[in-house]
Amino acid sequence: MRSKLPVLRPRRRYVIFVAESEEPLQSKDLAQEIRSAQISLFGDEGAASNSLKLISFQAGFGILRCGHLYIQQTRALLATIFSVGGIRAAIHVKGVSGTIKSGTEKYIPKLCKISAESEGRRIELEEVSGCIIHSRGREIDINPDERTPGLGSDTRYLGLTSFDLCGGHDDADGTADGL
Amino acid sequence: MSFYECCARSLPEGSDSPSRLALSARRLGYAGIVICNSGQSPAFRPEAASAVRGMDVAWGVQIRGPNPKALRSRVASFRNRVPFIAVSASSEDLARAACEDPNVDVLIHSESARRGLGIAAARAARQNQVAIGFDLSPMIRLRGSHRIRWLRSARRNLELARKFDLSMIITASAGSHLDLRSPRDLMALAELAGFEAEEAERALRLPASLLDLNRRHWLSPGVELL
Repeated sequence: MRSKLPVLRPRRRYVIFVAESEEPLQSKDLAQEIRSAQISLFGDEGAASNSLKLISFQAGFGILRCGHLYIQQTRALLATIFSVGGIRAAIHVKGVSGTIKSGTEKYIPKLCKISAESEGRRIELEEVSGCIIHSRGREIDINPDERTPGLGSDTRYLGLTSFDLCGGHDDADGTADGL
Repeated sequence: MSFYECCARSLPEGSDSPSRLALSARRLGYAGIVICNSGQSPAFRPEAASAVRGMDVAWGVQIRGPNPKALRSRVASFRNRVPFIAVSASSEDLARAACEDPNVDVLIHSESARRGLGIAAARAARQNQVAIGFDLSPMIRLRGSHRIRWLRSARRNLELARKFDLSMIITASAGSHLDLRSPRDLMALAELAGFEAEEAERALRLPASLLDLNRRHWLSPGVELL
């Protein structure tokens, strides 16, 4: 088949995003959710004019292809995603670029530093108690022992930080009272 | 770049501690966050939130009064304690009462309200400098006909706010770090709801100036204690 004329070539942009979620996400579920969010927000006609494609999704970072006139629309539809395959999630756009290569170099970090040392340990505070599910840097997700009605919103886990567990000192590991 | 997320809810009403909300908001590019619980139960570890560097964590209150009289008395009791008072009105009477109270900073029109803002309420809001808050969480959460109904009422409120030159605020009304959205994402959503790009940007910056005004000591209107 003859290639397209250069002037008729579609102009594409690559949206680099990071997906935060309570459990690891499947790329198939995410692609499906993006498609359904697009159709729900813009309809069939909008989905036809802005053809989206999930190029890659690994370790929470993803690349999504969209048309160059529809970046704002793509941001909006990614913002409306609140759960993927029944798992609470949020998608934040890191940046937009013209090629996959420059987008990857600019916005996707080479190494993801994940500390899994404290997972499974227990936390006993006055107000809440439970086990640590994930921890990343200062951020800690805990699975509460009991859900009192009226406590928390619709997420499964409660989000805390190391500041809540210790006196707020940057280097303290929180063993003094919390863990 | 002084964008603020106002009306975030922390433990025990949301599911994140204030410091976690502040950390996540800082990563998304906010300069500050206003934590608005209903004020009935004490906040979870407020001192830990101030340990987050480079973030302004302000404490506000979001009032859902059962009736106009109770609303007025609760607003008056909180005015001297917190720098930010938001009222979430579910009926026309409550919206009217909130607009007529100069102590209220923001009136957030909740999704459950069937009718939009009335003209009399908008006029009162103009006189008392009450901003109109647009809570974008229904836009994120709802799908289909419910979202259509919400968009329609938001557009009507927006027209009224433009007509009476009211100041506007947009918020994601986050109950956890997964509900927070970055300022640019919120602007993109607001543009779909009918905002102009500059209006949306101004709406995200407004809480900073409101907090700045309310943190000063005012003896009476126009008289400041230095």
